[in-house]
Amino acid sequence: MGKSIARKEDPRFLRGKGRYVDDVILPNMLYMAILRSPYAHARIRRIDTSAALAAPGVKLVLTGEDLAKMNLAWMPTLNGDQQMVLAVDKVLFQYQEVAAVVAETRAQAEDALQLIEVDYEPLPVVVDPFKALEPDAPILREDREKKSNHIWHWESGDREETENVFRDAPVVVKQDVRFQRVHPSPLEPCGCVADYNTVTGRLTFYVTSQAPHVHRTVIAMLSGIPEHQIRVISPDIGGGFGNKVGVYPGYVIAIAASVKLGVPVKWIETRTENIASTSFARDFHMTCEIAAREDGKVLGLRVKTIADHGAFDAAANPTKFPAGLFNIVTGSYDFKAAFVEVDAVYTNKAPGGVAYRCSFRVTEAAYLIERTMDVLAQRLKIDPAELRFRNFIRKDQFPYKSPTGWVYDSGDYEKTLKLALERIGYDELRKEQAEKRARGEFMGIGISTFTEIVGGGPKNTFDILGIKMFDSAEIRIHPTGKVIARLGVRHQGQGHETTFAQIIAEELGLSADDVLIEEGDTDTAPYGLGTYASRSTPTAGAAAALCARRIREKARKIAAHLLEVGEDDVVWDGTAFSAKGLPGKSVTMKDVAFAAYTDVPEGVEPGLEATYYYDPPNLTFPHGAYIAVVDIDKGTGAVKVRRFLAVDDCGNVINPMIVEGQVHGGLTEGFAIAFMQDIPYDSNGNCLAPNWMDYLVPTALDTPHWETDRTVTPSPHHPIGAKGVGESPNVGSPAAFVNAVVDALSPLGVEHIDMPLYPWKIWEILREHGINE
Amino acid sequence: MLKYGGEYTIKLPREEVWKFITDPHKVVPCVPDLIESNIEGDNRFQVIVKVGIGPVRGKFKLECELSPIEPGAVMAMLIKGGGMGSGVEMNAEVKLSDTDDGTLLKWECEGAISGPIASLGGRLIDNQAKKIIQQVFENLEKAFASV
Repeated sequence: MGKSIARKEDPRFLRGKGRYVDDVILPNMLYMAILRSPYAHARIRRIDTSAALAAPGVKLVLTGEDLAKMNLAWMPTLNGDQQMVLAVDKVLFQYQEVAAVVAETRAQAEDALQLIEVDYEPLPVVVDPFKALEPDAPILREDREKKSNHIWHWESGDREETENVFRDAPVVVKQDVRFQRVHPSPLEPCGCVADYNTVTGRLTFYVTSQAPHVHRTVIAMLSGIPEHQIRVISPDIGGGFGNKVGVYPGYVIAIAASVKLGVPVKWIETRTENIASTSFARDFHMTCEIAAREDGKVLGLRVKTIADHGAFDAAANPTKFPAGLFNIVTGSYDFKAAFVEVDAVYTNKAPGGVAYRCSFRVTEAAYLIERTMDVLAQRLKIDPAELRFRNFIRKDQFPYKSPTGWVYDSGDYEKTLKLALERIGYDELRKEQAEKRARGEFMGIGISTFTEIVGGGPKNTFDILGIKMFDSAEIRIHPTGKVIARLGVRHQGQGHETTFAQIIAEELGLSADDVLIEEGDTDTAPYGLGTYASRSTPTAGAAAALCARRIREKARKIAAHLLEVGEDDVVWDGTAFSAKGLPGKSVTMKDVAFAAYTDVPEGVEPGLEATYYYDPPNLTFPHGAYIAVVDIDKGTGAVKVRRFLAVDDCGNVINPMIVEGQVHGGLTEGFAIAFMQDIPYDSNGNCLAPNWMDYLVPTALDTPHWETDRTVTPSPHHPIGAKGVGESPNVGSPAAFVNAVVDALSPLGVEHIDMPLYPWKIWEILREHGINE
Repeated sequence: MLKYGGEYTIKLPREEVWKFITDPHKVVPCVPDLIESNIEGDNRFQVIVKVGIGPVRGKFKLECELSPIEPGAVMAMLIKGGGMGSGVEMNAEVKLSDTDDGTLLKWECEGAISGPIASLGGRLIDNQAKKIIQQVFENLEKAFASV
């Protein structure tokens, strides 16, 4: 542990030997393509599929009515709503699934889509969530009992106490902050191969899944195929970031088609389908108020949010709170009182909000508080670093109970920010900034000292369809001391095969080379809730460690037999068992393993294996201090990120190189969100960025150079003191970027700019102030 | 919502221009990139046209309906249809008035486009639409010249 060993999975990825869903080719396999709605809101008067059915190679055309006969027209969502699989009666967003064609080749299926005639009657479109709440707005969801576009209201904290604090506060700042609609955009889009065997009744389902076991249970509940007759295989996955948590209509249709035809059916999304129809993220319209004293000490926090959920409330949200963990909104600061409320709204946009590399709305919360803290600093003319020091939850306050009810496990915010300020040379940078300002140049420094909340989760607050969010590991040691371990999570590039091998090797006194990690096959792996919300190390990592310890307990019995001493006299020193007081006499795990199959003591069951299901007692709370330094070009409005330092504290680190890789990736995504990504819609509900031409993904050339560092505050309740890090950089960095740009423009009186910070936006601000005329 | 409009002077008396623009048999041949047409009656016709906007290329099937609002002076034209998974709806109004040397034709058009053309070709639609409109008038000019 704590060593940067090379990733075990990389050789196959680097040599192009990975095996992804689209690499699965089965005998007699057919291909499916989906017809999607050009309208954001329209009644379907008629669908004529006859020409498509007669097209070359076409074997099946499915519409919503066909699925209704199979009782599959609607599916439940993870947020208690229901979603159409193929549109019945009307469409509710552009690119909604309307019909599907299955043919001998993908090209034939795509061509046949053009022959399906759909008679649409366009209906009034609602794209603005505020307008959707007006009393005369058209009701989008006629299937719902509640005749309103309002989905739910949720609140957290103490309203009355917060009002009192605000009433008496000497200073109040208020800021509207928008977190735009973005998309996880994994390199590999979603897809599946459904293979239903009509003789055995078995469904083998290859799918791009971050949570294969949950998908198995959902498929069983939806399709009626018994769960033991379903095998979900999630092969190598080219990135998930939350996009591969949901169940999408395409999966359901492919399964229905395979059941009908009795042959395997493959469906692989196009890039446009991926961006325009599967699980966007964010889309929060937030208003934040902070009550404070003149010296900057914060007192109260009040937040009002409108969440645009699109046509169906399909947000991936396995918490008991409809707005997920948005109640982390007090962040790293010691507020006396806080009150947060969120209203979710239906609009004619794609459904399926996912957390996107964050634990269920933590990113929105972290961005909001880190942005508004800077607004407060600017208003009170206090240095933003100083303001943070004055308000941090102190080291001795942990475990800390936040005003919205969460108990932070551990943290040392002061130490982390101090290290970051030192490493970046904060005082010198401020001096340089003052000189530049005197010359009329625009340089900015942005700080974000966020707190994350990861490791979903404890069974009282986290579940999917009632299944509590524990996670699992099963370890088997073979006679020669080689190990296979299977876990219920499923990596999409995070390096599990190395990380978990290191944990298990450490616990068993073996080398990581001796441990093979297998995930993603529900026939072999123990039940798990999947990889997202940075939960792999906090939950499955803990399960792996505790499972190995369970094996060690049995190994101790066998070791005692081999050492010919009583069990109580056996000592484990991290590498071998030895007899107390008998130096020089020891047996390794390898010796014990061989004996477990060849020479077990009386009364001990042969073999050396164990399973462990770990239900965490609490979440873990990693934190970080990020600093961005930017220069703005007066002529073009372009922002150059000159330096970016991320100091993360994710507790004990298993493989520093993997952690650093995760941080680099997350920072690059955060950078993209801050400067280039948005999914806008026009007033007709046309999605204006359903491709990588308009929805930008940064290349190596765009991406700044990342500097990283670390402090270590172990989680007190985690077996190996680890916390999870994958999401931190995506959660913490957008605020640092925006704070830096606003800081640069603050001499002009600028207090806030909504993301993405396109050069034209900055250019217009500069022009308004007569800078670049 | 797309909005276009313009005006155009034709050196012909108003009655003749009116007769021309309300006659599908005369109007249809002026449609640019026409592949197929089907005149259904006095005021309705269908056309299939070739379309290419940015990365999206293919055929559009459009239904058009001409309806006089004020005979001899104002006509409405409704165009509906689409193709390649995209939809188009256009409402145009044509107004004729007398001038010293013929007829002034003023037109206004409001339209909505949905589907991949709107999202993929969004930034290119404007230029393409202007090009098509220019072509329509070039064709009309030629046709009027032979009246």
